[in-house]
Amino acid sequence: MKRLILGVALTLVPAAVVLADPPPLPPYQMRASAPAGDRLAVGRDGKALFENHCGYCHLTFGMGTNLLMKQRLAIGAPPQSALLANRDDLTADYVKGVVRMGKGAMPQQTRVDLTDAELASVAAYLGRGK
Amino acid sequence: MQLKLPPRTSPKQFDAALAAFARVVGKDWVLASDADRDAYSDIYAPGSAEPWASSAAVAPASVDEVRAIVRLANEHKVPLWPVSRGKNLGYGTAAPRMAGSVVLDLGRMNKIIELDARLAYAVLEPGVSFFDLYEEIQRQKLPLWLSVPGNAWGSVLGNAFEHGIGYTPYGLHARNLCGFEVVMPDGDLVRTGMGAMAGNHAWHLHPLSYGPTLDLAFTQSSLGVVTRAGLWLQPAPPSSLELVFDIPNEDDIGWVIDTIAPLKISGLVDQNVFIPSWLGKMVLKGQRADFWDKPSAIPEWRVAELLKQYKLGYWQVALRLYGDETVVKAKADIVKAAMARHLAAPPAEHWWHEGEPMNAIDTTMGVPSAVPLQMSDWVGGRGAHMGFSPVVPATSEHVLGQLKRSRKIIADHDVDFYASFTIGGRFATNINMLMYDRDQPAQIDNIKKLFNALIAGTAQAGYGEYRTHLGWMDTVMDTYDFNGHALRRLNEKIKDALDPNGVIAPGKQGVWPSAYRAHAKEGRA
Repeated sequence: MKRLILGVALTLVPAAVVLADPPPLPPYQMRASAPAGDRLAVGRDGKALFENHCGYCHLTFGMGTNLLMKQRLAIGAPPQSALLANRDDLTADYVKGVVRMGKGAMPQQTRVDLTDAELASVAAYLGRGK
Repeated sequence: MQLKLPPRTSPKQFDAALAAFARVVGKDWVLASDADRDAYSDIYAPGSAEPWASSAAVAPASVDEVRAIVRLANEHKVPLWPVSRGKNLGYGTAAPRMAGSVVLDLGRMNKIIELDARLAYAVLEPGVSFFDLYEEIQRQKLPLWLSVPGNAWGSVLGNAFEHGIGYTPYGLHARNLCGFEVVMPDGDLVRTGMGAMAGNHAWHLHPLSYGPTLDLAFTQSSLGVVTRAGLWLQPAPPSSLELVFDIPNEDDIGWVIDTIAPLKISGLVDQNVFIPSWLGKMVLKGQRADFWDKPSAIPEWRVAELLKQYKLGYWQVALRLYGDETVVKAKADIVKAAMARHLAAPPAEHWWHEGEPMNAIDTTMGVPSAVPLQMSDWVGGRGAHMGFSPVVPATSEHVLGQLKRSRKIIADHDVDFYASFTIGGRFATNINMLMYDRDQPAQIDNIKKLFNALIAGTAQAGYGEYRTHLGWMDTVMDTYDFNGHALRRLNEKIKDALDPNGVIAPGKQGVWPSAYRAHAKEGRA
């Protein structure tokens, strides 16, 4: 079972191929730049903010994705649902609660890590359409 | 988290201080709600985080704002606890040693001021994370490598200031620092090294000052707030070879140290060589309950089964060489011949050449990752860890002595053994990972007793820790006892001279200003 989980985790990483130029790095090691603008202003790009501030752990092969992979597979959910951006069952309020209070191995985030305005954008992005 | 104000500060005085801070940084960057206090607490605290509760946080964006905040802290007699990014996981996170201190969060000061590939150095503000610096180097396509710790979410400078280690030729991170800018406890601004001359071009290149060299006095320190520093980086090598040796038995660590340390001291091996015990691999394979479902320590017979099942040695040496391929090959032949005198199995060999992809979690190539923190999931629940980290001479006698001593103490407390030795040169850093679920009071109580026993037993044998959690900063400082604790007395004389109000990081590393010395007995775990 363990071997299977590890195998599934690795399928999220692009196959390693030798090229003349260095290939793209796994996304969590090459996050989007933080979007420009006042960190206290509302309405900035939630996707870009998520990738920059949460991407350390929550892009492909990040620690949070790895841990969620185990949890998602254990309840029969598809592996791609370990990536928060693929989830369709999150709500904005839930995202805000987890970010500020932490969850399991995830530490709570300060308002310097992510301002309230930035969190509102991220929560709207992850909880979109609900 | 209960609201705990700074000592001798009334609610009215506290509010006045926060209002004054807000006039400097803006009200949105004074963080004083209950949720803020929780967010700055120690997420890996052994038991309650309240002994190290902050009263608020303030987040300046520039050196001028830091100076203004420090002056106001003196005026209002409010102590500050500076953090770079506050991700010192296992050692207290962002939380202060003295409850009621205001966290001075430098996370907004995250500029990469200079990045020079020709002389291989960077000039950074404290809020720059390992990921930030790595990504900027990639964007500019510069031939520079980092040296990263297990948790690259944190600050590059903060990790070096705390004497953190990595697993590359630049692995003793504090040694890479060169030239500081420091806000002193009275708000004055000092530049160390050649930077003491306005406009000097060699500030971050020549590591000594004219006169006494004070740079490292500002690391693990409460003597000032470092607002920028130079950091030397490793030039990217054209090739690299990893030699992976599985070392079958516990006692083999003796010959491993006696084989590798001389190569490291001579310079043939330039990497900090990391040698983790088997559990370091297992924590990434699942949770403890998947392998042993009882609360007691995993017994020897089960360890033997697991090593066989997962084809693991008791230790693993993943030694990496860097440089031109011909040089790397020649060095590898010497390393392999030295290891072959004790070990029949040849190592696995993994070559890397410029332009080829890198292993996404290879800390020996300076690739930042937070994946090693996955170990906090090993025990389940709100998993956490602390490191017991003594330093020993890099010889088999000292390493085996330390191993047997700590193993016995850990076994006596019925806790799993998970240790590593990192050969840093003439010394080895022995990190013993102690993992626990924050919601299991009996487990935490046992870990605290174990930690105290480890400190006492190790000091009695003649070894000290290089770094520790807030709750043991004083206990460890007590072990540095030469001549009636002369080092602490010197530190406190300097502290009182530079910081008469004791506003910068009271209690940091067991050094207390006279203004708060009465509080030294509080917050000991």
